[in-house]
Amino acid sequence: MKRTGLVFVIAILCFVGFEDTSSGQSTATYAPENLSGARRVELASIQVASLKEASADEEEAEPIESSGETVPDPLEPLNRAFFEFNDKLYFWVLKPVATGYKTVVPEEARVCVRNFFNNLAFPVRFVNNLLQGKFFGALEETCGFLVNSTLGLGGLADIATAVDIKRHDEDLGQTLAVHGAGPAFYINWPFLGPSTLRDTIGTAGDMFLDPLTYLGNYWYAPGFRGLNVVNETSLKIGDYESLKKAALDPYVALRDAYYQNRLSKIKE
Amino acid sequence: MRRKGWIGLTFLALWAVCGFDPVWAGVPTEKVKETTDKILAIVSDPALKDPAKEAQRRERIRKTVDELCDWEEMSRRSLGRHWAKRNEQEKKEFVHLFGQLLERTYIDKVEGYSGEKVDYVGERVDGEYAEVDVKIVTKKNTEIPVVYKMRARDQKWWVYDMVIEGVSLVNNYRTQFSDILAKSSFEGLMKKLKEKTAE
Repeated sequence: MKRTGLVFVIAILCFVGFEDTSSGQSTATYAPENLSGARRVELASIQVASLKEASADEEEAEPIESSGETVPDPLEPLNRAFFEFNDKLYFWVLKPVATGYKTVVPEEARVCVRNFFNNLAFPVRFVNNLLQGKFFGALEETCGFLVNSTLGLGGLADIATAVDIKRHDEDLGQTLAVHGAGPAFYINWPFLGPSTLRDTIGTAGDMFLDPLTYLGNYWYAPGFRGLNVVNETSLKIGDYESLKKAALDPYVALRDAYYQNRLSKIKE
Repeated sequence: MRRKGWIGLTFLALWAVCGFDPVWAGVPTEKVKETTDKILAIVSDPALKDPAKEAQRRERIRKTVDELCDWEEMSRRSLGRHWAKRNEQEKKEFVHLFGQLLERTYIDKVEGYSGEKVDYVGERVDGEYAEVDVKIVTKKNTEIPVVYKMRARDQKWWVYDMVIEGVSLVNNYRTQFSDILAKSSFEGLMKKLKEKTAE
């Protein structure tokens, strides 16, 4: 009897999840002619705004730097020093370790490890969806977590994504932003990399929701976190190199990429 | 009985999610798709895989990308308010160098192509502006959302910005350029750009 109930709940959760994604899909794929009037106006005003921002020929006023598009960086000299430190850390330690790990562990297994850690971070996403009032997101997250933890063998396989149950990547930094907190200023932490004051507070808070924090043995949590970092790096070797190769100033390029990416995540 | 109904509904929902055809695909999407398909054909062509053919392969990608990207518009937007202060010669030289850097970055990216799936998930058109939403699905269980920002010129659609995972290429370079220009000069920027493209 109990089990029947559970199946039922999962089915409902799944159904709600699917309904959400299908409606999302249909709005994402509307034909331009189907735009409603309001939507058109909204789009047009966005276009006008973006036009204004960049039509350099007619522009005399200061358009870009003052519009909050860049993050304040009063600690720049210190941040640059830490950037250099992290750069060396990557090329001298992290990359060689990740490369060795990559030659030993096949890609399929590394993707499983990634899936496992993603699934384990469910409480962070769930609570932050709730804190932002995104109840559908929280529900779909729960559905994905249940499916992956059972059918996905404790999270090793990401069945949820395969059947279009979407992940809603929310964290405390984004929650604080949704409730009006600005980024304050940029911080490039040694070891941890790009962040802002707000996102640092967020990361610290999210640690309380991370199951790894509550592992009994003193050494387990750092061990697992280290594995996660090496595993992720092994799947992304080359990304940092190409950022550096494309950039005139890699420090500024990374700072801006971090900030723009965060802005888009907050908007979602 | 009740449970069967739910299972049926779940399947129905699944079908609804997976089964829709993208009937909306318009001209901007076609342009992006056509170019992307051409480029993917070049990088997956076994006849061009030989390292000795690298220059030839890159040249063919370059020609194809040139049909899609409006380097001058990208340069204008990346320099922002500084663009108007430059004379024609400086503008020309800047577009040439910056275009080279962007081309190279793009070619490096697609050269690393290893069978990722490219989905065209949406399109918005408003007058002479359009946005094409693309999702690159990797084998590593990640999805990379890309937005091509386009503008119509001479009866054709041209890309003037690419937004990858929320990061606009033009904005990223504009931040770098204005930082360099604030600390040094246009000549200093050109020198850096020359060094970069010569790398």
